[in-house]
Amino acid sequence: MNRIPFNIRLVLPAQLTIMAIVVVPTVILLWLAHTDWQPTQNIPWFDAEFYWFWNFYDLWYDERFINSVFRTLFVVATCIAVELFLALGLALLFLDEWPWRKVAVSIIILPMMIIPVDAANAFFMLFNERGPINHLITVITGEVFEFSWLSHPTWAMVPIMLAEIWQWTPLMFLLVLTGLMNLPENQIRAAVGLGASPVRIFFRVMLPLLVPVISIAVVIRAIETFKIFDPVYILTRGQPGGATETISMYMYNGAFVYFRMGYIAAAALLVLFVVVSVCLVLARPLRKHG
Amino acid sequence: MSKKSIVTDRSRRKFMQSAAVGATAAVIAPSFIMSPRMANAATLGNVHIEAAKKAKELAAGRNITLKVLQPSGSLGNVKPVADQFTALTGVAVEYLEVPLGEITQKILLEAVAKSGAFDLALPATFGMPDLVESGILVNLDQYASKYEPAGFQDDALFSTGDYYKGSLYGYQTDGDTYVMFYNKDWLENPDENKKFADKNGYELKVPDTWEELDAMMAHFHHPDKGMYGGALFRTQYFLAWEWWVRFHAKGFFPLDDDLNPQINNAAGVEALEEMVAASKHLYPGARTNGLFENFEAFGAGDKFCNIGWGGTQKFLNSDKSSIKGRMAFGPTPGGIVDGKLLRTPYFNWGWNYVVSSVSAEPEIAYLLTLYACSPAMSTVAVRDPDGYFDPFRGAHYEDDAIIKTYSPEFLAVHKASMEGSIPDLYLKGQGEYFDELRTNLGAADAGTKTAKQALDDTAKSWERITRRMGKRSQGVQWSFLKSIYPSSIRNRLK
Repeated sequence: MNRIPFNIRLVLPAQLTIMAIVVVPTVILLWLAHTDWQPTQNIPWFDAEFYWFWNFYDLWYDERFINSVFRTLFVVATCIAVELFLALGLALLFLDEWPWRKVAVSIIILPMMIIPVDAANAFFMLFNERGPINHLITVITGEVFEFSWLSHPTWAMVPIMLAEIWQWTPLMFLLVLTGLMNLPENQIRAAVGLGASPVRIFFRVMLPLLVPVISIAVVIRAIETFKIFDPVYILTRGQPGGATETISMYMYNGAFVYFRMGYIAAAALLVLFVVVSVCLVLARPLRKHG
Repeated sequence: MSKKSIVTDRSRRKFMQSAAVGATAAVIAPSFIMSPRMANAATLGNVHIEAAKKAKELAAGRNITLKVLQPSGSLGNVKPVADQFTALTGVAVEYLEVPLGEITQKILLEAVAKSGAFDLALPATFGMPDLVESGILVNLDQYASKYEPAGFQDDALFSTGDYYKGSLYGYQTDGDTYVMFYNKDWLENPDENKKFADKNGYELKVPDTWEELDAMMAHFHHPDKGMYGGALFRTQYFLAWEWWVRFHAKGFFPLDDDLNPQINNAAGVEALEEMVAASKHLYPGARTNGLFENFEAFGAGDKFCNIGWGGTQKFLNSDKSSIKGRMAFGPTPGGIVDGKLLRTPYFNWGWNYVVSSVSAEPEIAYLLTLYACSPAMSTVAVRDPDGYFDPFRGAHYEDDAIIKTYSPEFLAVHKASMEGSIPDLYLKGQGEYFDELRTNLGAADAGTKTAKQALDDTAKSWERITRRMGKRSQGVQWSFLKSIYPSSIRNRLK
């Protein structure tokens, strides 16, 4: 024991813990990705037949997988853009003190505290053929409107994204508001003193200073949105014809309905590569700010 | 089809079925089918009593509780039978319900977890091959040779799904063949008949072909007047079944002898194009409603036709339905192949009693399955108006309570369909094959793919699935499956 240097002894427990919870599962994932292991085949995972790179080959030609990746990227881009726009607008409104401000903030962040499945279920009811949204359109237009939102290949994605945006804009709002409240006041005062308009101050002074906070908010939300599952599962389960199948839904079906653990492990590796690449791009502004 | 021809066809089919099972068993796994049954005291009439006696002996006064994993909505069928079993044996029964479409998945999870969460289960018949391959089901050959009386399956109208690669893994407990329901008032309306005949050159009737059905749905579809052509399913889970019948009715097997998909041939594409075109004449909820919503939708009485099972009729023939007593019934429509009508009724769902391989009491669990599926007790189960188990034994069609629940007109159609049903794709990976099919058919129905693209994509996926599952092993099972298609259909399919 004495042969191990003191500094090594200090870090060893932490290193071993990390090994156990990160490295070991990663090695297992790498192994599984090169097998066609299915737990339902009665074969232990370590005895699975080595499958070389066939899973990756099959994934390359798996139209559903490729489509689900691109569809998820589209959802991420759309949701984040809308959430950021709304969060910025709301944060600016809440920057100054006004009566009931704290109460209003509490109300705005309420959706974030709802269980995602419940939130998704609420949107399922809203967008049902006989639900309030169609009823509202009927009242406004004066004509019976029975559009089937959740079975339309294009429009079915709208309720899903709205559910996501409704629930998670508050998080973006909180992050952006915190960033705005901590901006250095002297630069803004200087701009005001020099006669800059509020719009010019926002775009030329506040927004550039806010970039690190926005980048962090966007990266956090991008990672989370990439895993979007609850609204998809509750509202459409990836239907119609796979038109709303996101990567999590695809992997859920593969892993927990058909138990293709090897194939889905390979898919997970590819998705990890995509997520890391996207996040590196999104986090570039942070590097500029040191 | 005359009664005589049905009987003849049925006998031929039984013979072929036995021959095929025997041949497959000889190749794959010698089983009870190849060995003589042990003598036992049970007869068809008292098999349930003998099973209960044996279970009581095996329980030997111990406190045993059997847990049954069952699809939601089936408690009405299972509980009355299990209660009587408990009264006779002292073995208690607990019920675990899971959503209809998730039971296979839950049982497969048990194959991984091996937690002993249940002793018996009622999976959908089409999920049996995957469950067998996972090792979660007990091979019942030994128990059957010990307890099952001779002729136990003789009056079962569809028992194909009980066997996999020649061995017995469960007992059918629900006669889920597809049948058609029509709004009789509309069908017999003289004004509508004249208008339809003027346009189409033939009169309204229970349609023989899909082409006729599609024409009738188009004729009756007037959403502005609150009238809809049909309540056929377009929800992804159910969508593939209608296409499966439409495709078979064009005269093809889904796979050729080398397991190459035939679904994307010209007939398959045409069947899909016709189905997509028919979607225009369905009610607005067709793409989102599930099973029970479908019952209610047709029960409203504002739709011309529906497709479904005996369970559908249990609802429609109840006081919950406004169309009760105003329906006509028919087998699923067919197609004209080589100048003659070809009907391909389809046994597409159904539930089987199976025994978990991690059960602590597999023998008692088996005896409960035997008890529940015996002629006497299965009649009790099918009678229940709140459950959805349908007649599957010849004797069920003679029972007064069952006749009252379903109506004689419906039962006549149901029985004929049961006797001539084609099986589902009972191959290993059935779930994956059908998931690909459903997704692509859904895409074609939603308009994001052409019929040809959708079926070509499905065929490519099927080839990959077959390669993974093992072409040789799948080939053996496919040969067996083909052999148990009713001969009158098999001989006409390419």
